[in-house]
This record gives sequence, C-alpha cells and structure tokens, in this order.
Amino acid sequence: MIEFSNVTKYYDDDVVLKDVTLTIEKGELTFITGPSGAGKSTLLKLIYCDERPDKGQIMVAGWDIGKLRQNTIPFLRRNVGIVFQDFRLLLNRTVFDNVALALRIHYMNASTIREDVHAVLKEVKLGHKADTYPQHLSGGEQQRVVIARAMVAKPTVLLADEPTGNLDIDNSQIIMGLFREINARGTTVLIATHNHGLFHASGRRVFYLKNHTIEKEEIG
Amino acid sequence: MKVIIYSIQSVFRSLWREKWINLLTILSISIGLSLLTAFILLTLNMDSVIQRWAKNFGLVVYLNDDISAEEEAALKIMISEDSDITEIKYISKELALKELRMTLGSKAPILEGLNDNPLPSSYELNLRRDLLEPELVRKKAVQLQQMKGIEEVQYGEKWLSSLYTITRAMKIGAFFIGGAIFIAITFITYSTIKIFFYRRKDEIETLKLLGATRIFIRLPFLLDGLIIGLLGGIISSLAIYGMYSFTSLKVIEFLPSFRLFMASFPFQVYIIVPLAGAAVSVIGSYIAVGKIRY
Repeated sequence: MIEFSNVTKYYDDDVVLKDVTLTIEKGELTFITGPSGAGKSTLLKLIYCDERPDKGQIMVAGWDIGKLRQNTIPFLRRNVGIVFQDFRLLLNRTVFDNVALALRIHYMNASTIREDVHAVLKEVKLGHKADTYPQHLSGGEQQRVVIARAMVAKPTVLLADEPTGNLDIDNSQIIMGLFREINARGTTVLIATHNHGLFHASGRRVFYLKNHTIEKEEIG
Repeated sequence: MKVIIYSIQSVFRSLWREKWINLLTILSISIGLSLLTAFILLTLNMDSVIQRWAKNFGLVVYLNDDISAEEEAALKIMISEDSDITEIKYISKELALKELRMTLGSKAPILEGLNDNPLPSSYELNLRRDLLEPELVRKKAVQLQQMKGIEEVQYGEKWLSSLYTITRAMKIGAFFIGGAIFIAITFITYSTIKIFFYRRKDEIETLKLLGATRIFIRLPFLLDGLIIGLLGGIISSLAIYGMYSFTSLKVIEFLPSFRLFMASFPFQVYIIVPLAGAAVSVIGSYIAVGKIRY
C-alpha cells in the first residue's frame, strides 16, 4: 500500500530523509517513531504529496508520488485521511461542518452528508456536539473531530502525525482505540509519534527513524 | 453541476458574512461604471452632433465656362460612377445666379448691371462618411481637380480639420478613460477577493489537504467576483438611466433644438454595463486567487 524505495529528501541543503526504504502492507497499523527533527512529519508529508522526494520512489495506493501532476494530487489525498497534531479545524464552523467538509469536496448530496457525518460523530462519541464550535471542545474532543473528518470519506490510508501530542493518557487511549477500530475495518494506518506508550506491547511494526534514516524496524 | 451549486451556496454565505466590504465594492464598481457609461454617452451625443454636421459636408466642383456638352456629359458619368461619392447635385449657371439673388435678398439689384451670368455651373458632391478625413478629402479634391472640364474644387478644409481633431480627441479620450476605469474596477475586485482569500487561507489549506480540486477552491471566489460586478453594473445602469433622463429633460427645457442632436439612450447599455462589470470583476477575482498549488 505504501512503499518507499531509497527515498532522500532535502530542505535546501539540509538532508531530512536519507535513503529511506520501507513497505507498509494494505490493512496494516504501523508506527514510525524517532526524536524531534528525525523526519517523521516529512515522511508523512511525502505520502500525501505535500512534499516530493528528491531521490528514490514512493508508491501510495498505486500512485507514484514523484510523478504525480498537480491536478492529480487532490485525487490521491481523497484516499488518504490525515490527522494533524495541531488539528487544523475551522473555528468558524461547527463540528458537523468541519467533518462535512471532507464529504462536500466529493460533491455528495446533503442528505448523505448528514447521515454519514452524524454516524461518524457517534463513532467518536461526539454525536451530541455536532452543533458546537471547536473552540468550545477539549483537546481530546478536538482530536476526535479531526479523526472523524479523516475517516468520514472512508480513505484507504490514514496518517496521523503526533495524534496524542497534546493529550493526557486517558484521551490518548481513546484516540488509539479509534485508530484500532478504523484499522480493523481494513484501512491502512500509519502513526508518527514519539510517545512510546502508544506502540509499546501493541504487537505492531514500528519503524525507528534516527539520523534521517530508518535505523531499525521491530515489533512494538 | 454540483460544484456550481456548492459554490453558489458558499458565495451567498460569503456575501452575507462580508456584507459591508461587498457593499463597498459593489458601490465602487457602480461608480466606476457610471462614470465610464456617462462618458460614453457624452461621446455618443457629441458624435451624433458631429455626424449631423458632417452630413452637410461636401465638395463643390466648379466647371470650366467653356466646357462642351459632350465633356459635361462624360464628366457627369465619371462622377456618378465614383463609389466614394454618395450624392451628386448639379447646379446650373442659371440656378447658381438664382440662388445668389435669393441670398442677397434686398441687395439683389446690384446684379442688374451684369450683362452675362458670371457664375460657373457646378456639382455639389457628398462623400462617403468614412472618407471624411482631411487627408482623404484632399486627395479626392486633387483627383477631381485633374479631370477634364473642372475649373476648381472647393471644400471647407479648416472646418473639416477641426471636426476631425475633435472627433479623434474624443475617441482617444474614451479609450484612455475607459481603459483606466476598467483597470480600476479590476483592481477594486482584485483587492476585495484577495482579502477574502487571505481571510480563508486556513480553510483553503485544509481543503487542499482534504483533496479539494482547484475548481472547488477557486469557483466560489470567481462567482463572488461575478456577482459583485453584476450588481455593480445593474446599479450603474439604473443610475445612468436616471441621470440621463434628468439631464436630457433639463437640457431640452433650455435648448429645445438640442433634441435633434440627442443620441437616444441605447437599450443595450442595460445589458452591456452589468455584463462588462461582471467580466472585469471575474478577471480581477481570477488574478486575486492566482495559481493554486498543492
């Protein structure tokens, strides 16, 4: 589903990722970890084509990231749900509208959007907060809205960049539970985190990024 | 189709949310278009006056006194076959004298002492309207002058030159004023849409990450510009109609004969002005949104 072959990425003259090779199979839940600045976020950005590799090849759900044309990128991103650490919620829209945005870009009709959004909000236990504005939610609730927005369009891949970075242990457990549920339905999930507690004893593959390359891979 | 429906909904939300800045933009556009339309109408009316004056412009071709009947007949054929000439009026020696008597009126008896009619016979020629340029008329006069049997060609050279200069100045003025106003309207819409675009920058970034296409992101802004320009144009048309009707009435009240020179208020203005406003605003919006890169 996701395949990096000898990928190198520079920001100006600074190397961020060097000769990275990894494969994530369809339906897997995997982690990528490493210290701050190791290149975890860049690796995710390469997957959803916010950045392009300077060397090597990246294949995501059959798309060759290095060769994607600008007008094709939206269609890749519709297959990739993204959960950001800083949420990126629109503060002037309700929870419902924030989640619905992911379906509106697919030009779905209003009744389908209503049904799907309410269903996904129920799944993340925020059914009662549909008309609330994000600034009136706690950090954990906001992150659940972001997860709802990422999963409502049923992507084949879900990426999460430090999804529990701002959350306490209880909320982190809830968020991880949601990722496991999403993965159980067949979605490939890749979580970038420096929180070892998330993957410790998870039985999932963990890639360790150090010195801009994959230092090791092991089962968490 | 769905993208249009979504965009229209988004535009109406934006029009309401940003009502004051939208209103200000619409008024600015309508003022700009009103000024432009007023100037065009003024030019049309001036042109109407000039065209009426130009209609009476002609060349007078005086014939030789000793021209034979055959030569005169041949000359008439040559002139009438000239496609540059639209009207020919023959003034015989006798008719010329009769007209002179009428012109002199009470002073006509001074002609009594003449034994022979000294006036030559002549042709009054009207040229095609597109030839009414000083250089073209001069060439035509020279060409006629060289024909056998013609003594002299006369026309109001200075008058024509002045008329030509006025018309040309008006056309150049209309071009530059029109251009300046169009640029101003483009810039007004550009600024407004740019503000909207920056205000929604976070939303646009999120939309891009969610997989929104360029058309999905761009269309609401273009429609916003279109509606702003269209409304500005409609207000402008109505304002111009009101001002034109009022001014016409006032001018005719004091100068009734001016009615003859008034160009009518063209009905197309009602359609052209809003469409022009919309088109220019869409251009401004398009430039403001710029290239969307992922």
